[in-house]
Amino acid sequence: MVLEGVFMGDIPGSKVMTAKEAVEKFVPDGASVSIANFLTCVPFALIHEVIRQRKKDLTIWSQSGIEEIDLLIAAGCTKKVITAYNYRAGGEWASTEFERAVKDKRVEVEDLSNFTVLAMLWAGALGYNFMPVLKGIKETDVFRVRTLLGEDKFKVIKDPFTGEDTVVVKGVQPEVALFHCQRADRQGNAQYWGSIGNSKWAALACKRIIVCCEEIVDHDVIQWSPHLTLLPAFRVDAVVEDTWAAHPAEVLGYYNFDLSFRAGFYFAQASAKGMQDFIKEWIYDRADRQDYLSHYVSKLGAEKLLRLRARRHPSQTADYGTANLTVWDEKGNCEELGVSRTEFDKIIESQPEVCEWETEEK
Amino acid sequence: MGNRRKVKFTLAEMMIYNASLEVRDHDRVMVGQGLPIAACTMAKKFHAPNAVLLTEAGLVDIDPYRSPLHIADPTCMKGFSYSCDLIDIFTTVLNRGYVDVCFLGVGQVDKFGNINSTVIGDYFNPKMRMMGAGGAPDFAAYAKRVVLTMRGGKFADKLDYFTTPGWLSGGDSRVKAGLPDSGPEILISTKAVFRFPPPEHELTLVSLHPHCKVEDVQKDIPWKLKIADKISVTPAPTAAAIDFCRTFDPTLSAGRKLGLTLSMQALARKIAEKQKQKS
Repeated sequence: MVLEGVFMGDIPGSKVMTAKEAVEKFVPDGASVSIANFLTCVPFALIHEVIRQRKKDLTIWSQSGIEEIDLLIAAGCTKKVITAYNYRAGGEWASTEFERAVKDKRVEVEDLSNFTVLAMLWAGALGYNFMPVLKGIKETDVFRVRTLLGEDKFKVIKDPFTGEDTVVVKGVQPEVALFHCQRADRQGNAQYWGSIGNSKWAALACKRIIVCCEEIVDHDVIQWSPHLTLLPAFRVDAVVEDTWAAHPAEVLGYYNFDLSFRAGFYFAQASAKGMQDFIKEWIYDRADRQDYLSHYVSKLGAEKLLRLRARRHPSQTADYGTANLTVWDEKGNCEELGVSRTEFDKIIESQPEVCEWETEEK
Repeated sequence: MGNRRKVKFTLAEMMIYNASLEVRDHDRVMVGQGLPIAACTMAKKFHAPNAVLLTEAGLVDIDPYRSPLHIADPTCMKGFSYSCDLIDIFTTVLNRGYVDVCFLGVGQVDKFGNINSTVIGDYFNPKMRMMGAGGAPDFAAYAKRVVLTMRGGKFADKLDYFTTPGWLSGGDSRVKAGLPDSGPEILISTKAVFRFPPPEHELTLVSLHPHCKVEDVQKDIPWKLKIADKISVTPAPTAAAIDFCRTFDPTLSAGRKLGLTLSMQALARKIAEKQKQKS
């Protein structure tokens, strides 16, 4: 839907850049990074770029890792992870980098639940210092065992209205969010639909937001469908367009999960060497997402990828139409007030409280 | 009595079928990936057509056309009724009491249905890292009923990590802790079915899968297992249920490792084929 022949960076207010530029600019070493997708639509193009640029000492806020946390740890980008869940494909045989790193003490993990980890970001996004959570968590080791967050993981306070014990978490505002979605305009209005998960809060909590999208669309498209806009342009710092950017994860309306590729990954990451080989082949040796796709096609064939393409299943449109009744009709009359514009000017200017002073007009 | 029938089914199919029987029509059901989603979709197809399946990713009233690979997979999204987010699910839905039943898989479980899904071994020097808490602690604390399924999991006197509250220390300990008077109703393992009857809410054997004896079950349990006055044989899945499992999620019927191995072999064949084309 992008106008042909228009250079994308040329539009006023455009934040369009490559993944390389966005990560260079907004992900400094030592930053706290929020991954603003939950299991699906994983921002792999951005995460691979973080790895390729060999970022160091990142603190990762993750709702649930599906393999991105394993990759970031294996590449030495992070030693601190705050999360509720990290996928593993099976029992003992399916060792993950996450597991090996915990055992070797290469990474410190703070275990939260899905609700409590997002409640911290939710509070941060709302600009609140803390947020009540469901107090059942108090009975668990999620509450009792503390690592990175220590005393700040949970507090119990008295509800000022009922006097009951209330468990609260602290609001956090990480430095930068990595977010992938279906489409955005050049200014950064980011549209995402389907499984909303953690995205809105995990992105809005952050000071900076990098949006990667499957396609950049004209601003008109956004204005026709504002209910799909999850993040407003004024909160977004960079817009990256990369197709198949979530592969091997899926993007609703674009492509499905690549199960056999992923099966290959799970068996590869079961050994430390397999994991390093995977990172070299699919991240370090690839210049960008386009190169990753070319490599995929040359190794596995384009048909395999195209088989995953989504078939169209568009939503029923919402009607944003109005009667388009302006206050003053084409003859200059106002139906509601029963006067013409000229009559109206006369009426208000003859009121006793009308003001008058001289101005200089050129 | 109908006709006698001979059916071949896997343990996974047995568990899915029995878990599906726990869903009642009109239940609002929190489903997780894998066995729970297969069981609940089966229930919706066979006996609970008005059940509302929801996932913590913010998908409400889903009707997946094949087994989703996780709870936010687009296969759940071809027609669902309410698109919200994770915060909405845990607050407006769960906290306000609208989750009737929640399905959870078990890594390690104790006598009162408390669950560990975080680590095996010492937390700081673990033998194994499992997937983590996910939504389990909050759902299990506030859902009206909890259905536990256990495939690779273990029974333990004391959990290595207390991820998710069941009946805490039994009796009225849950209510005393300020939680709703609800919790695990049933645990379905690869050998048997257990329930947690009041007032003690202790794990109690109620039925044995075919070919399993009480001794086989007791062997895995480090305390003296409580046994119901009358124990039965766990119902075998119907032919239609077996067919549903294999159509909906063949990998689950086969077991995850066998499923992934088949996928991996398919990938290797693809790579070899492509290399042959090039040379």
